[in-house]
This record gives sequence, structure tokens and C-alpha cells, in this order.
Amino acid sequence: MQTGTKISGIAHLLLIGWAVFGGSFDTEPLPFEVHDVSVISAEEFAAMTARPATPDVAAEPEAPAPPEAPVESPDLAAATEAVPAQDAPDLSTPPEIEAAPEPAPEIPVPDVAPDDTPPVPVQPEQDVAVLTPLPVPSRPESRAVDRVAPQPVAPPPPEARPDEVTSPAVTPDEGGETRQAPKEQTAPEAATDRIITEADKGDEVAPSASLRPRARPARVARREPKPAEKAPDAQSAVKAALAEALGGGAASPDPAPSGPPLTAGEKDALRVAVSNCWNVGSLSTEALRTTVVVSVRMNRDGRPDAGSIRMLSSTGGSQAAAQQAFGAARRAIIRCGANGYKLPPDKYDRWRDIEMTFNPERMRIK
Amino acid sequence: MKRLLAGFLLGVVMAVGPAAAQNGPLRIEITEGVIEPMPFAVPDFVATSPAAAQAARDISRVIAADLSGTGLFREIPASAHIGKVTDFDAPIQFADWKAVNAQALITGSVSQSGNRLTVKFRVWDVFAGTELGTGLQFAGAVDGWRRMAHKVADTVYSRITGEGGYFDSRVVFVSESGPKNDRRKRLAIMDYDGANVQYLTDSSAIVLAPRFSPTGDRILYTSYETGFPRIFLMDVGKVRRKQLPTPEGTMSFSPRFSPDGRKVVYSLTRGGNTDLYEMDIRSGKSRRLTNSPSIETAPSFSPDGRQIVFESDRSGTQQLYIMPAGGGEARRISFGQGRYGTPVWSPRGDLIAFTKQNKGRFHIGVMRTDGSEERLLTASFLDEGPTWAPNGRVIMFTRATRGAAGRSSLYTVDITGRNLRQVRTPDGASDPSWSPLQK
Repeated sequence: MQTGTKISGIAHLLLIGWAVFGGSFDTEPLPFEVHDVSVISAEEFAAMTARPATPDVAAEPEAPAPPEAPVESPDLAAATEAVPAQDAPDLSTPPEIEAAPEPAPEIPVPDVAPDDTPPVPVQPEQDVAVLTPLPVPSRPESRAVDRVAPQPVAPPPPEARPDEVTSPAVTPDEGGETRQAPKEQTAPEAATDRIITEADKGDEVAPSASLRPRARPARVARREPKPAEKAPDAQSAVKAALAEALGGGAASPDPAPSGPPLTAGEKDALRVAVSNCWNVGSLSTEALRTTVVVSVRMNRDGRPDAGSIRMLSSTGGSQAAAQQAFGAARRAIIRCGANGYKLPPDKYDRWRDIEMTFNPERMRIK
Repeated sequence: MKRLLAGFLLGVVMAVGPAAAQNGPLRIEITEGVIEPMPFAVPDFVATSPAAAQAARDISRVIAADLSGTGLFREIPASAHIGKVTDFDAPIQFADWKAVNAQALITGSVSQSGNRLTVKFRVWDVFAGTELGTGLQFAGAVDGWRRMAHKVADTVYSRITGEGGYFDSRVVFVSESGPKNDRRKRLAIMDYDGANVQYLTDSSAIVLAPRFSPTGDRILYTSYETGFPRIFLMDVGKVRRKQLPTPEGTMSFSPRFSPDGRKVVYSLTRGGNTDLYEMDIRSGKSRRLTNSPSIETAPSFSPDGRQIVFESDRSGTQQLYIMPAGGGEARRISFGQGRYGTPVWSPRGDLIAFTKQNKGRFHIGVMRTDGSEERLLTASFLDEGPTWAPNGRVIMFTRATRGAAGRSSLYTVDITGRNLRQVRTPDGASDPSWSPLQK
């Protein structure tokens, strides 16, 4: 303890001695600005502060000097006379009644539905995709919702030809190395994803904006098949494979197909392609309750063999309804397969024979 | 150890599974489709003689208009046709019609002999390359060419949709002319599409709510010609009428036939109270069906004749009720907001059409017979008085516009709410009643 006390005492003494004699406080002062201040009297200060409030205004302002060359004022009377003579209306006497125009002819009642709703004020631009412009006479509103599809589709460009596939217009480039055949721009028809009745529209004449349509998975898959992205996880693949293996034991005269099966993405692409042509709008109520299973043999180019399409079974409706439902299914397969379904050629054995079940249950509630 | 075994089994399944997964055909299920008009083509029917040329053109146009008017079909205009049909019996060049995306093709011929027209036609499924059904022919007087065209359209409609058509039918309605404060009303009858309007009464008395009989040969309606509303029965063919016997000092209105055409159910107001009654047309005897201090009116039979749907304010607001045809306990079927009235049972029996007033607007709607699945099809200043097409797929109703210059018109709408259209009439029109298909 004593040693420590001694060391501490010596250290403190050395520190104090260095501070006193070492000149540690003789450093140069930090730079700072200096302003001269003059002492003024209270009267001078009052005079300074009062000056802005009471500007020194001359008691009698001098009259402005007249312009050296005064402009002559125009002769208004002469100008008025120059105006073509107009008979002033005689307000003292009312206009003669016989001058009243003929009553307007009766306005013909238009064929379209009378509009009881007030006009919709123009909305400011919003940061949404405007899909449905205000109705114009050349394109009635009812036409725009003629089509109900699984996914809503924005109105196509006016110059585009209606088609299931969206494709840009191709014009031959005279300077290009390879000549391209001119091709018309195509786009799918505008569609909603459910039936919209007049009662659903509320008081609005037409919607001013709607959500952007979602991408159509079918087209993505058909243009750029990416099996790896759409492949199911291992567990679901095992389940699906086992289920199909166990449930798909129907006798077939053809040898069992070999090679890898279609991926879920390839199947989805086929399913959506057929869906786009499966029009149930003209089916009877009973046919809309009828599920039909249809078989089709496919050619190698992806086109269905129309003669091979037949109905394997039906459930839920009469034979007549089943025939109507089968007719719609057959048209769907043939129409959308007219240019060949996008199926992997190397897996032809897997899709040579297809059984499609057309179940309209979800379409009944559109 | 268990994990090791599970992993081994999974590997085996993954290696073997895909190869064994699809022994049979590829199977897919389609659950989503589209709803859009089916494109069809009707090239002008072939005229077998110059005399039949005009009729051939006219018949083709009426068929096209009938089908397009349903909203289920869309005609491909003749200007887009590639193929031409010059011989009714020549084979069809399906490729030409596929190229213009015609899914259905109707071909036909018209021949005229004296005052008699004969119309032959076939319906083709273009993409399947087959005929839908077999060829058919109608014959009739020259001035009946519209009816023949409607019959062809009915057959085409039926073969494609599987449902009966409604084109060869008529509508009886109240024709209205003159200003709103001096409106003259006459009973009129026309084809379903507004053609061939004929007037059945003059405008000396107010007439209301005409109703076709199940056979389409008689009409019930209400007239004020005695000063009070009374029910009259008219023979359409002879334009002869008689008043149905109801007690003096009462008001009778809102009549409707039973499905067998032998009875009439109607409303009768006596002493300020309105109830439903049933009358045997032949004997003229009436029987009371309801006995309530509230107002019961607008009765309509179910197609099997066992039940009656009607409107009543017995619960405090105007709602829809169903009771046995012979009277008895009624059950309420409408429970939504607003007031419900003028119920009409669908000829199919599955739906009830009604008028609904809610939040200052009128709607035509349909619901199941138990009141479920209510669906409003229209909305306007004033929609009322639905009547069913013979096939139960389309509803016609009255739409009136507001104001002193307001006008009543007839409209049709599909039971899905699509395809709202106005029916052309020479004057204002209200209170339509759709006939069954003509024989």
C-alpha cells in the first residue's frame, strides 16, 4: 500500500510540476473572428430602429414630369362610329312572338338502352392501366364484354386481328438480309373473368380503370417452355406418379409409352390451350351440368386427328345434353389444335393418346 | 436406420415412378372455358327460281337476326365469306368456312310454287366436318315466310344448344301512345322480335297486364271499361272477348292462367282488402285462396300447376311467397333488401323472375324457387313486369324512362344478365306476356 501511495504521490507531483513549468498552456490561441463594436447613445439607437417604420416621406410629392411627347388619346367616338351599324334592340318593347322558332322536332328514341345515370366526371389520370375507355358509339359496351375467359384480357389494339395468340405485326424490311413475310398483328379479344350484369355496374356508365390483366400462363408456356421452373417438387411428383400409376391401369391395345412423361408445365400448357377454345356460352343449362370424357389421338405435328375424337363417358346429364357437351369439347380440341398444340416432340409417345375430361362445374357460376 | 430406409425407398420411387406413371393415355381435366358468342355463317339460301330469290334472301336474314339476337351466336358477315353455296345439295367445302372461323354453317334453299314456299335447310358443325342432325324442310304460304324463317332458326338453335328455341312465338303487350298525362293504351300482339304488330283493342278504355294462355290462343287482361278493373278473356284468333264473372263492387285484376288453361288465378279487392282467388273458366265459379288483411297479388303458377308464387306485404314489406295451388300455408322465399314483386315462374320450373325495388332503382332478377341464388339482371329508373320466353332462357320486361317525356319500352335479357336488348315497337310498350311456341 505504501509503495503504491508513494508512486501515486510522485506521479501527481511530476504532473503538477510539468503543468506549471512545462509551458503547456502557452500554445497559440485558436483563430476567431473579431468585429469592431462602437458604443452609441440611446437616442441614436432609437432613431436607428424607428427609421424603417416611419420612412422619410416628403410632405409634398413632386408632380411627375409630363412625357416629352404625349400620346394623343384615340378618338373613341370616331372609333365607335366606325363599327358597322347595328340596330340597338328596343328594350322598351318585347320582341314579337311571331318571331319565335318552330318547336323542336320530337327527338327519336334511340335503340340503345336509355341511360338514367348522370354522366361520369372525367377522372384525373391514375397510375393504373386504363383498360376500358368510356364507351364510344362505334364500339358498344356490350360487345366489349361478350367474351368471358378464365383470365380478364385487356382490349386489343384496334389494328390487331382477334386471335388466341398475341403476336406483333411483321413488316418486310427492304434493307434486311433475310426477307420476312408480312404478318398481321394479332391479339386475343377483350374478356372479363365473369359475367357482369347491368345491376353489377352500379350507377357508373363504365369503369374508368381496372387492374392490369395477369399474364396468361398458357402463352408463356407455349412460347418458352420452362419445365424446370414449373416442375413440381419431389414429393408431389411422387404422389402424382403413384396416383397415375395406380389409377391409370386402363387396358390399352397400344404398348405402354416409354420415355419421360410430360411435365406439369407441359400439361398445363395443353390444358390452357384447350380451355381457350372451350366455349360453353351456347350450351344448355343441362349440358352445363354434364361432364364428358373425350379421347383424341394426336398427330406428331401436335394436331388432333378430328376423326378419332370420341366421347368415352358422361355424367350429370341426359344423353342429349352429353351430345351437346361433347360437341363443344370436340370443337375446342379441333379449333385450338388447328395449328398444332405445343407439345414436346420427343415425348410423342406420351401424348399420342389423350383423354380430356371437360368439367363445366366452375363455368356455371360465372 | 428408419431415415436411411425412407431415403432409399424415396430414391427407388423417384427412379421408377415417372416411368411407370403413365401407362395409358395422357389425362387432363379442363375446368375453365370461355363464354362467347359462337361464330356462324348463313349464306343466302339458294333460290330455286327467280320468284323465290327475294324470299330466300329475307329468310336468311331473319334466321341470322334470330340467332344473333340471342347473344349466343355471332354472324360472320357475307362480305367475309370465302366459300359460296350455289347448290343446296353440293358438298360443303369446310376449309372455306374454317378459314373464316365459322363454327356453325346453315345452308338452305327456297322454292316457290304459286302461293306456296318450301324452305329446306341443313346445319353443319364446320370444325367437326359433320352435319348437326339431318336436313329439314318447312312449307307454307308465301306471306308466312317470317314464321318459316323463325322455325328454321328455332331448329338451328335447338340443334346447337340442346334447348328449345323461342323465335316462333308472339308477345302480347300494352301499346302506349300520347303524352304521359293522356296516355292511350291498347292491347297489341306482335312477333317476338317486334314484327307484325296488330292491335286487339281500341284505346277507349285503359287495359292492363295481358297474359297468354298456355296454348297461346287466348288472352286474359284487365280493363277499366266498366269504370272498375275487370278481367276479360279474349280469343286471339277471333278477337272476341268476354268478361269473367266477378262480384259487383269489387275490383279484379292481375289474372294468370293455370298450366292446363282451365283455371284463372287472380286478385280481388273487396272492402279494401286484396286476396287471391281461383276461378274455373268454364263454370265461372271462384274460390278464395288466401285470407289475410294484407295485399296479396301477382300470382303465378308453377309449370306443374301444384304451387303458386305471389307477392304479399303481410310481413310489412312487399315480399314473395309460395303456397300450394289450392291455398294453404305460404312460405316466404325473398329475404334480400328492398321490395319484391311481380314474380313469374319459369317454364322450366327452376327459377322465378321478379321485379325488385331497392335504393331507388328497379331491377329484374331471378332466384331459385327456394329463394336462393338471387341474381339481379338489370338496373334502371324503372324496370318491371318480367315474362319468360318459352324456353326459359330469356326474359322480356318493361323499362320506363323518367320525366314528363318518359317512355315505356320492351327489353329482353338473358337469364345470365347478358345480352340486354330493346325490342322495337312502333309506340311505347309495356306489360309484355310471351306466348308459348306456335304450333
